[in-house]
Amino acid sequence: MKSYYAPYSLLFLLSILVFSSCQDDVTTSYTYRTMMPVYLEMSDVRARIITTEPAQPLDNPGKIYIYGDYLFINEPTKGIHILNNSNPAAPINLSFIPIAGNVDMAVNGKILYADNYVDLLAFDISTISKIKLVKRVEDVFTHMYHHETGEIITFRDTVITTENPTWETNGGWLMDSRMSFSSNFSAAAQSYGTGGSMARFTLSNSHLYAVDESTLRVFDVETPADPTFVKPIDLGWGIETIFPFQDKLFIGSNNGMHIYDASTPNSPTRMAVYEHVQACDPVVVNADFAFVTLRNGNACWNGVNELQVIDIKDLYQPKLKKAYSMLNPHGLGLAGDYLYIAEGTHGLKSFNVSDVMAIDQNQLEFLTSQKSVDLIPGPKSLIVIGPDGVCQFDYSNPSKLKKLSCIQVKNPVNFY
Amino acid sequence: MSYNTKLLLIVFLLFSVKCLAQEKIYFGQTEIGFLYGRGVEQWDGNHEERIDVSFMTFHGVHLSKNNVIGFSAGFDQYDEISIIPIALGWRGFLGKEGKPKIFGGLDLGGGSAVFEKKISDEWSKSWYEGGLLVSPSVGISFPSRKDKTALSFSFAYKRQQISQFYGTLSRAGTQRIATDLLPPEFSSLTENSFLFRSFVFRAGLMF
Repeated sequence: MKSYYAPYSLLFLLSILVFSSCQDDVTTSYTYRTMMPVYLEMSDVRARIITTEPAQPLDNPGKIYIYGDYLFINEPTKGIHILNNSNPAAPINLSFIPIAGNVDMAVNGKILYADNYVDLLAFDISTISKIKLVKRVEDVFTHMYHHETGEIITFRDTVITTENPTWETNGGWLMDSRMSFSSNFSAAAQSYGTGGSMARFTLSNSHLYAVDESTLRVFDVETPADPTFVKPIDLGWGIETIFPFQDKLFIGSNNGMHIYDASTPNSPTRMAVYEHVQACDPVVVNADFAFVTLRNGNACWNGVNELQVIDIKDLYQPKLKKAYSMLNPHGLGLAGDYLYIAEGTHGLKSFNVSDVMAIDQNQLEFLTSQKSVDLIPGPKSLIVIGPDGVCQFDYSNPSKLKKLSCIQVKNPVNFY
Repeated sequence: MSYNTKLLLIVFLLFSVKCLAQEKIYFGQTEIGFLYGRGVEQWDGNHEERIDVSFMTFHGVHLSKNNVIGFSAGFDQYDEISIIPIALGWRGFLGKEGKPKIFGGLDLGGGSAVFEKKISDEWSKSWYEGGLLVSPSVGISFPSRKDKTALSFSFAYKRQQISQFYGTLSRAGTQRIATDLLPPEFSSLTENSFLFRSFVFRAGLMF
């Protein structure tokens, strides 16, 4: 009999346990990609010594600059790769200059200008193996300042896990990977850019012009090694690209194209604003026409996908000549009468634009396998930036592009 | 689903064959009953109760006269979630042959959420994943006079973990960032990790 007690008491205990204290539990965890704000003291950034480092593999190429036989390829927010491109069929990765916060650059004679968060740096590149910093212009891209204390704010792509159910509004920052800043950086190439907040550079008439989201900043670079900040010019919001032609500056924004007269280089004055629907819009220009691509994308929701040809014979009165429907045009490049358009994931198109009223009838090629976001018609080759890397084409015969080489990248460029 | 079911069938047949060949070694127990539990505490401190169906079949071999090891499988319903529990188990008996016996048991294994549909569209994916199962039990069996079968009643405690996932997909072309926290195709992933603690009452047959 006695042996019966133990199991019964066990049963009793069990039921007590179950009925009294036990209940279901649910724990919820949220994991998401976000842009984490990172606060930096400019004094720390300035204290870092910048010297040339051994070559690094291309990770996520941004702007590309051609300098003689060399290619400078920006690694957004990290620095600049230097490649020897004397043979476009076989470019050689030479070295890397680590510049924190760098997204753009320009070369003036033997001097390379690069942004370093809020500062502008000037490097002597006369000996490519021994690049040295010759000047730092402090506190010019002040839009990055978090507040007046010398602290700047940048963002880092991060994955976070939290049990806080209000994660979507946690901290109030952009919580969507589509807004990834690095993707915007990567797109911030020469004639092309999306709504990042970073400067974009161009040189004209011994002056360096840098645009950020809302401001055009003018630097006097008469003495290349000694750039001096002249003044900021307010442009309005949504500025994306800057394209110099003769002594004019064509500035592409989210909702239009600004034309500035830079014949007085110190103080460009607005000649006209050509307005269009809101879209992302790189611009290239020849003597008579401006070619603008509008596309639907990341920072430009209402965009249409088209190529607009704008008559600029009268710079004070730009007017739309004709618009051509496109698939998803990104960057574009003009070489004489030939226009090359990066159609995003759809490929790469080439046109003869000698008759601007019949561009669609003069499509030369449509390389659907060559995904591309931007291109630069260089002296030796047509450089095309796409998700597979940086490719170069022989375009001596404009109607038949010939692939010379491709530099593979670790992280493909984004498409939006 | 199909793999698990096949496995179950094969093992079941295997034991059935053994049962025919060597009557004393095989032990089987099949029971049906209900699960009772108290839901997650709500904002006002109350709990919703849940009562759902539970089915269990255990197949094992006698290690000794009063000890059996084997495996169990079954079907448990937790509100809207259907789980197939699969576990290794032990049964121990107290009592004389031919008289009602008290038995205790322990099952350790996992619950599979194969019945739960995976939902996937252009923007998101959601699915369930089963988890750890622990179930101690006690019961009483009443032997039949005619043959070796017995009527059984068991009380068990069942602790079952289940996870529900909901992920929003990254847009095409989004850059991947190296992380162990988030599968690369997602821009966000929500995990609801449920821990169901239930009291189980079942009745059935031992054979």
